[in-house]
Amino acid sequence: MNRRGFLKFAAGGTVGLVASPIIWNTLYDAVYWSQNWGWIPRVPRGDSTYMRTISKLCPSGTGIRVRLVDGQPVRALSDPDNPLSRGALTALAAAETQLMVSPARLKEPLRRTPDGALVAISWEEAEKLLREKLAEAGGSTACISGDPTSTVNELLSSLVESRGSADFYFMPDDEQAALAAWSAMGGMGRLGYDVDNSDFILAIGANMLESWGTVARNRRNFSAGRPAGQEARVKFAYAGPVQNNTAAGADWWLPCRDGMEMELALGIAHLLIKAGHAVPSAGLDDFKALAGEYTPEKVAALTGVDAGRLAEVAKALAGAEKPLVLVGSALGAGGGAGAVMAGIAVNMLLGRVGAEGGLVNLPFPTPVVTGASDYRTVVNRNLIAWSQSVASGETEAPRVLLIYDANPLYSLPSDSGMEEVFTRSGFKVAMASFLSESCARCDLVLPAAMGLERFDDCYTPYGSGEVSWCISHPLVKPFYNSRPMGEVLISLAKELGVETGVKDMPGLLYKKAYSLGANFRKMVESGAVFQKKASGAFSVPVYNTDAIRTALTLKKEAAPLSLAPVVVLGMGTAQTGIPPFATKIITEYQLAGHSSVAQMNAATADKLGVRKGARVTVGNGKVKVPALVDIFEGVLPDAVALSAGLGHTAFDEFSRNKGSNIMTLTSITREPGTGLPVWSSAGVSVDKA
Amino acid sequence: MSEVIDFKIRWGMVIDLDKCTGCGACMVACQAENNLAPQVDASNKLRALNWLTVYRLSNGKSFPDHEVAYLPRPCMQCGKPSCVSVCPVVATDKREEGGIVSQIPPRCIGCRYCMASCPYHARYFNWYDPKWPGDLDRTLTPDVSTRPRGVVEKCSFCHHRWMHAKDAAILKGEDPMDLPDGAYITACTEACPNGAITFGDLNNPKHKVYELRQSPHAFRLLERLGTEPQVYYLSKREWVRRQGDNYLEHEATGDNKKV
Amino acid sequence: MDYSKPVDAALFPEGCQRCSLTRFMAWMGILGVILLWGLYAAVRVLGFGLGETGMDDYFGFGLWITFDLAVIALGAGAFFTGLLRYILNIDELKNIVNLAAVIGFLCYTGAMLILVLDIGQPIRCWFGYWYPNVHSMLTEVIFCITCYCIVLIIEYVPLILENRQLARSRFISALAHNFHLLMPLFAGIGAFLSTFHQGSLGGMYGVLFGRPYLYREGFFIWPWTFFLFILSAISAGPMFTVLVCTIMEKMSGRRLVTWEVKQLMGKIGGTMLLVYTVFKLADTWFWAVDLLPREGLTFDQMFYGWIYGKWLMWTELLCIILPVIFLLKKSTRENPKIFYTMLTLTCISITLNRYLLTVQALAIPVMPFDAWRTYAPNWAEWGACALVMAYAAMVLSLSYRYLPMFPQEARLNENK
Repeated sequence: MNRRGFLKFAAGGTVGLVASPIIWNTLYDAVYWSQNWGWIPRVPRGDSTYMRTISKLCPSGTGIRVRLVDGQPVRALSDPDNPLSRGALTALAAAETQLMVSPARLKEPLRRTPDGALVAISWEEAEKLLREKLAEAGGSTACISGDPTSTVNELLSSLVESRGSADFYFMPDDEQAALAAWSAMGGMGRLGYDVDNSDFILAIGANMLESWGTVARNRRNFSAGRPAGQEARVKFAYAGPVQNNTAAGADWWLPCRDGMEMELALGIAHLLIKAGHAVPSAGLDDFKALAGEYTPEKVAALTGVDAGRLAEVAKALAGAEKPLVLVGSALGAGGGAGAVMAGIAVNMLLGRVGAEGGLVNLPFPTPVVTGASDYRTVVNRNLIAWSQSVASGETEAPRVLLIYDANPLYSLPSDSGMEEVFTRSGFKVAMASFLSESCARCDLVLPAAMGLERFDDCYTPYGSGEVSWCISHPLVKPFYNSRPMGEVLISLAKELGVETGVKDMPGLLYKKAYSLGANFRKMVESGAVFQKKASGAFSVPVYNTDAIRTALTLKKEAAPLSLAPVVVLGMGTAQTGIPPFATKIITEYQLAGHSSVAQMNAATADKLGVRKGARVTVGNGKVKVPALVDIFEGVLPDAVALSAGLGHTAFDEFSRNKGSNIMTLTSITREPGTGLPVWSSAGVSVDKA
Repeated sequence: MSEVIDFKIRWGMVIDLDKCTGCGACMVACQAENNLAPQVDASNKLRALNWLTVYRLSNGKSFPDHEVAYLPRPCMQCGKPSCVSVCPVVATDKREEGGIVSQIPPRCIGCRYCMASCPYHARYFNWYDPKWPGDLDRTLTPDVSTRPRGVVEKCSFCHHRWMHAKDAAILKGEDPMDLPDGAYITACTEACPNGAITFGDLNNPKHKVYELRQSPHAFRLLERLGTEPQVYYLSKREWVRRQGDNYLEHEATGDNKKV
Repeated sequence: MDYSKPVDAALFPEGCQRCSLTRFMAWMGILGVILLWGLYAAVRVLGFGLGETGMDDYFGFGLWITFDLAVIALGAGAFFTGLLRYILNIDELKNIVNLAAVIGFLCYTGAMLILVLDIGQPIRCWFGYWYPNVHSMLTEVIFCITCYCIVLIIEYVPLILENRQLARSRFISALAHNFHLLMPLFAGIGAFLSTFHQGSLGGMYGVLFGRPYLYREGFFIWPWTFFLFILSAISAGPMFTVLVCTIMEKMSGRRLVTWEVKQLMGKIGGTMLLVYTVFKLADTWFWAVDLLPREGLTFDQMFYGWIYGKWLMWTELLCIILPVIFLLKKSTRENPKIFYTMLTLTCISITLNRYLLTVQALAIPVMPFDAWRTYAPNWAEWGACALVMAYAAMVLSLSYRYLPMFPQEARLNENK
């Protein structure tokens, strides 16, 4: 080819290439390739359906509307028609569908092999093993349940107790303290709070707009009481050591040391009595004498709450039409009964017991499963007393330990004795949906179907102001190889010869509905909710000043610093771990890289000689955890705020390797009088790392 | 360069900051609704892909006079968007009735000029390919396509929900361009347990937001820059409103407000 | 064959000596190692995504954009020297215009290479042409830069064709000659394109009304950063060319252009710098006392700690004020030490300017409740820049070795 020929060829080729569709098609294809690489998942195509149910992961059973696409649940939406949560959704309930398929979800029954590993086995093997172990153990069986609202508890109770054991426990929560307090003050049933109808709520310690009680409902009331752009009809005050999410919504924040809730309530009582608010009841004079000692100055010294601000709140409280004082603990457990008693006394002074928007008396549920203990009995049992007694050797460890929907190894203080209970118990069985720290230590792990895959219920969660009952029913078949635990337990009981009186979970719930007078069919079909107003009639409460005085003798350790826990429900519970989407809602002032963040105010930081960003350790004498300092003026002086819900060692990559578990920094004392375990007043020290 | 673009319908939000307590339900709902991939480590907030972020505000005072507020920040859907005019390939536009600033990932070349332009940090980049570990991709919704690495994305006011609302209105024989209040709301609005977010047509007197945005307590973020956001905030607290914009010491809060 | 000369001596420019091939290959080997390191960074970025860099959602622009803007400004010697040589017929500049063109070519192709890495979807890089947004300054930049890159290739090609062995071919020789005749045309096109994209690069920042550090108001039809960028580029461009030339002289041990030519370049650059400095100072003043307060901001709020402190801006300004004084004063300009120092300071100032506009501007929290954030480029970003620099050094070394870049070289080194 000569030069001319080459040039001709080159020119022709170029023109031909440009004129042909090769280049242009390739370019256009490139657009599609770069949008639809094979490794990026496609979205589903399919029809959407919506079903109403409740979130069993959310501790107060928030109502949800589940969107299914081609039968697959993809979204948990708020349910405006649910009369309890009325369209409010918590950050945890919003993650329900994602948690169903999260990497931490248990897929198969697991059994521990002699070399220590957990390996998958079949359900037949698992059930056989459990049956044999339970049969062997007989009365030496204990069970811990982490879901106090479910009727499945009655199956567990029957299974354990009908064979001679009394060791069926709920995980500690605020209701135990409330019940002890309410009984001491003359209450007959469960303590309820008519949050819906109050116009002024003073929450002492209770993180009521974030995690405490019927949180979705509380927040709907908060929303309704404060319409956008208008004057607030309902006022809120919050007392606690950190300006947390509840404080952010409240009109007043009373910066109160953790563990000093009782003293604060007495300070309020003092001011109310002084202002002439003292609705009489038995023992008023004695209570007046006690409250008289709690002058604003004394209370300021004890609690850290400025006398002026205390007076302001007391005045607002007294001036409200339907005020309500509710007392709880920051962690939702580990608070004493004394504080609740003092809180009840304040409500009594204002005449708020049994009144609309005040404290209400709720009936205990009647058990429907044969051989099950009643709710009151179980709530009154003291898990920590048992576990510490097992740890000290006074009580023999059970041969079989059942852990139902609970994670005691993560969520209890390190001196709870739970570690020893796990070490010494013969055969440990976990029934759970996610591979928690406690599951990881069990010998047999049964994968539980989740709320959207099973029949279950939620009966009047603590913090309610009325009797309520919601049910969850299977919207889809259980994912993976999980099974509804209720059904597993019913058939297990049957094979062990335990008479439960029920055939299956729908049967159990039907029985429950019958006992309540609810329409089970309608509830399943339309997602309806059973509600019943609290009955007004019950014995008149008394000012049990002696009980308060006894509780006041609780020794509070003198530590240079106190721990102020911050709870954010969106970060999950001990049972769920951190939901996949929640890593993004964990803030920079909660977690920095892999380290927890210790928030403190500038004065405290100065005192400790640390600055923002400094690496420190927070310790309680026994345990030290690393943390990064952040300055936040919304923390009480001499307090260090740490986020709860971090420091998981099990679950999945979304939960692991993130900060430290603050429960390791807490320790237990017993409340004088009630004997309740108290761990909210943890003293700590901060050292430069 | 760019001018304020007006429409008959202007979808907008009024967020009552006195009602937001910072729980993060809006952020979770947004991620689930719009198929944002979860992130194993999201502790670097400058790499955490969120269409909606909740900021913590402080009144700057020391304990015990300290106050705190939370501010959810979606895309402002600016009337005069700084991002639209700068995009070299028209991957983002404000052209459709409703005034939502679009973002078209298949068109985006990932130059990030729009991110540099946006003072609200409402735009996010896919630094890596999105990953849904395990079976998490089973919960993808059909409404919003997944995005590959290398493109910018942002809040769309759940645009697909508007499409659905219009379809529903047409089926019912109603005017899709005159939706009743609440017929179209975003996932975050729906999820907020405190009812802090109100969503609607800012131009429609029948919608709640029309009245709310005219409240003396209403303000928009960085109004002085002239971006004309379609997101309003409400707070009775002066210190909160003052943080909505930059002020010189002698200037009074709200001086810059445009009607 | 003359065994006293390197084995590739036949390819050397007429009358010029070069080091041995072994030594040359060793030098290229060092550059090759750097190139490979950069290539590894580039492969990771292309393979896994831009997450491999130190950039984030606050700093969507970082080292790479700074680098691009800096090299495009410093490479402006090509168009400006070309303009002066071919259009305004300043004949002395023919002695350095080849080098300026090669540097321009390297700066622009290098910048393009970085841009391919920097955009998240390199496969879609042609969208800028296919779906242009005519309102975007960046569209203008994309158009002008790519077109100008072609011009630079056209300017570089005749130089290649002038290689002693290639030029033997009658056809190539004729082609090279014809290219030369067309050079004023390309110089003109180049000057036009360059002016516009340099301006557009400035305009790119000036239009960002959401960024108080960057936003400037209209001046005719563009924000005046448009003109500031042109002025800064035509000041620094010629100076950078002289600096590169001097470095080449030091490395090769041979004189390549006369001191007079360098002085002329310095004088031209200095004059342009004077104009730039006047406008830059006026701009800074107006921004600080008028624009910022209107946005409710103060000058002090634009700076933070050490990393984004005011010292950066003072350095930037000082590094143009001093060169203006010392370059325009004949006595100081003629002192080589002062002369080269001033050229270096100018290049530092212009680079710093691009850094501040890119990174500091993004670090400033605009929402009052937002916080200052900091950015540090990671190894992958440095690696990619090193890749470009290694590539430039390799091409420049090859060009110097084999192409007649410096018409004065043979004469200046006759007695060696």
